[in-house]
Amino acid sequence: MSAGRLLPITLAVVGILCLLAIAAIVIAKIHRRRAGDKSRYLLSAYRNELLAIASDEDEEGEAKEVLNAVPMPIWERLRPSVIAFLPKVRGTAAEDLSELLRSRGEIKRATKMLTSRSGVGRARGAYLLGLVRNRDLAALLIPLLADRNADVRLVAARSLGVIGATPAADGILRALRTTRGRMGLPAWVAVDSLLGMGVEIAPAIELGLTSDDAAVRNVCAQVAGHGTIFSAAPQLSILLATATEAEVRVSAAMALGRVGGANEAVALARYTNSSEVAELRRTCAIALGDLGRQESMDTLVALLGDDDRRLAQLAADSLIQFGEVGSAKLATVAVGSSPSARAARGAIDLAKLRGQITADTSNS
Amino acid sequence: MFWSDILEFFRQGFSSGLEIVAIPVLIYFVITNTSLMLLIGVAAWGFGGQQRRKDFAGREETMTSQLLQGVSIVVPSYNEEAVIVTSVQAMLSLEYPRHEVIVVDDGSTDGMFDKLLAAFDLVRVEREIPSDLPTRGAIIDVHIPRNGRTRLVVVRKENTGKTDSVSVGINAAVEPLVVCVDADSILDPSALIVVTKPFADDPIRVVATGGVIRAANGCKVVAGRIVEVNLDKHWIVRIQAVEYLRAFLFGRAGWSGFGALILISGAFAVFRRDILVEVGGLDPDSIGEDFEIVMRIHRFMIDNHRDYRVQFVAEPVSWTEVPVSAKVLRVQRKRWHRGMWETLWKYRGMLFNPRYGRIGLVALPYFWLFEMIAPLLELIGLVTIALGLLLGVTSANYVLMFMAVAYGYAILVTLFALAMEELTFHKYTRWSELGALLVASVLENIGYRQATAWWRLEGWWASLRGKEQVWGTMTRQGFND
Repeated sequence: MSAGRLLPITLAVVGILCLLAIAAIVIAKIHRRRAGDKSRYLLSAYRNELLAIASDEDEEGEAKEVLNAVPMPIWERLRPSVIAFLPKVRGTAAEDLSELLRSRGEIKRATKMLTSRSGVGRARGAYLLGLVRNRDLAALLIPLLADRNADVRLVAARSLGVIGATPAADGILRALRTTRGRMGLPAWVAVDSLLGMGVEIAPAIELGLTSDDAAVRNVCAQVAGHGTIFSAAPQLSILLATATEAEVRVSAAMALGRVGGANEAVALARYTNSSEVAELRRTCAIALGDLGRQESMDTLVALLGDDDRRLAQLAADSLIQFGEVGSAKLATVAVGSSPSARAARGAIDLAKLRGQITADTSNS
Repeated sequence: MFWSDILEFFRQGFSSGLEIVAIPVLIYFVITNTSLMLLIGVAAWGFGGQQRRKDFAGREETMTSQLLQGVSIVVPSYNEEAVIVTSVQAMLSLEYPRHEVIVVDDGSTDGMFDKLLAAFDLVRVEREIPSDLPTRGAIIDVHIPRNGRTRLVVVRKENTGKTDSVSVGINAAVEPLVVCVDADSILDPSALIVVTKPFADDPIRVVATGGVIRAANGCKVVAGRIVEVNLDKHWIVRIQAVEYLRAFLFGRAGWSGFGALILISGAFAVFRRDILVEVGGLDPDSIGEDFEIVMRIHRFMIDNHRDYRVQFVAEPVSWTEVPVSAKVLRVQRKRWHRGMWETLWKYRGMLFNPRYGRIGLVALPYFWLFEMIAPLLELIGLVTIALGLLLGVTSANYVLMFMAVAYGYAILVTLFALAMEELTFHKYTRWSELGALLVASVLENIGYRQATAWWRLEGWWASLRGKEQVWGTMTRQGFND
């Protein structure tokens, strides 16, 4: 076909598609505006009642009664607002909102939605069940950690964390794994959920630290540190020594700063050696400060003169964390113009500004 | 007689040539715009999922997550006296559990530092700046607020340019993630949460993320925050707003969705600090340093067999003033295209190299074919059409039809992007703004497109001639604070 014959046909097709695109834009705008206006109009009558419950001012239960009685079409529009309030409130307000949802049949509906064919439906169901924090519902959510839909797995993990369902820990760690190049559960979701379960999950975390998946080991190291799972310290030390991924070693070092003891302080000091990567050395210096064991002070003082000046600063900051004894040690180094002295003076200056030490301490 | 024979011969030859090239040129136009349409489609698919997940996305939980990594916001500044205090205040008050602001004063000659000194009660401290990255300008001094708690660091240094200032800022940064923003950029309060979420999701693999830049001209700004999104009254800005939507928002989101994002805007990008240090930081000799650093990261990570991701975050989070005059726009586009050429040339070894996967086999060939040489082909096409008309070998009808098809398809792509914007973020709420955007999507093809194509070629030519690189001055109109 020649260009002369092809052009009019192409032009007609392009013209029609342009008109369709404009129509889609206009229709979308009209639809959104109308839906917004209608919702605002319907909700305006019940806004005060909803605010009363959410701000814990519905002592007589009148507002709850009113909302319990609203006709279904209005409730359909009101429901998202009720649900949106739930994660933002605590105590009686949260209980009242949960009770309202229960009496409107929303919990039953959400439970049914867990087996919905739609991923969005299953995720919404799991989300609502998490918000009402009912431990009895945890058993329904655990299977969703293996759901084919990533959103559903994510919401289920978060809900189980909010509920504090310890039996879900293994499932969450399994969901973290990368399969066929696809990322598993987002790490922050897994960490937050596992932290919500308390120290009872220590065995699962210790086992997770030996996983062949780096994401699992990394998350377990973070949970062990933030959740102060002291029994994980030996495993964290092994991870620090043997992990092939720098990020995992850094997480292990950070965790050891919180849960380690004398042995771990020695290990951390070893990894401040100049043969290690900068990030690990720096994290170990921070961790030594977190541990606060006085036998580490000499290691930190030695680091003040290191060629890695950021490491020197961190070592100085860590010494400040030791309190008076650390500040006094810094003060002895802070004289002169050597690199060690500069790092020490920098940390002392900053600590003084922050009120962490007084002028007397730094001069002693 | 002799001359008319030559003219006739030339006309015949030109006519035959035109017959041969007309269809391929049309196909080129179709492929260019179809590929853009596909990218927008991929982006729209992702945005659709985001919209559906909104109800249970858990933004509040993200804020309190223990896994959110600290962020250092590096603000290279030169003579930003007018905006610096408002800008730093806005950055310090961003919603984020742990972030610091590092202002690098690149030898300003105005009262910028004095304003900072007074506003934040700064005191000089003996703080060393590590030399993780090589820098050129000597550091004069370092200041922090007297309370020692407000996480602001002001580093004064000799004037050595923006890229070197960013390197100094990265050296001074103490947090694991680094964001580089311009002093006059306006960030949404949740900008850091949004743009760092991929790092929290996948802390081992994600090494860089880029955020969306939108045109701030015309918007109502109070205390360094956008409080009302408006479309500027200048058509040159409206056209850029449409262009940013199509190319920067949906184009990049599409590449990200495809797993082959090679360009994120330096005006709002987040990097893992350790990775920046490992690859040697920004190249101060590159005029397209944002493109260059992302390419270097890709090459480094693939060469070292490391599993990694570079992601684009589509939610609108950063706003910047775009050029209002053709003169400033010309300088900007010349610089952009020159930067693209120099980077693509520098990394030509990755082109069609299967070792680099989608980057080498898809993204780079696409950038060469449809971004780099597009202005050249477009202008050659226009010159050919003009010659054809002049020689009388093409009819005016044919030319009009050809241009209508070529530019009509470009308009369709823009309308598709506008439809996606309306269905997802719908930042422009008024009917008048929608009308203006629709008109701008047509006007873009009348004069603006041809002018920018010419300016881009100028940038390319300047590089080929080895002309000295000039950043140029972005004349700011300022915001109605």
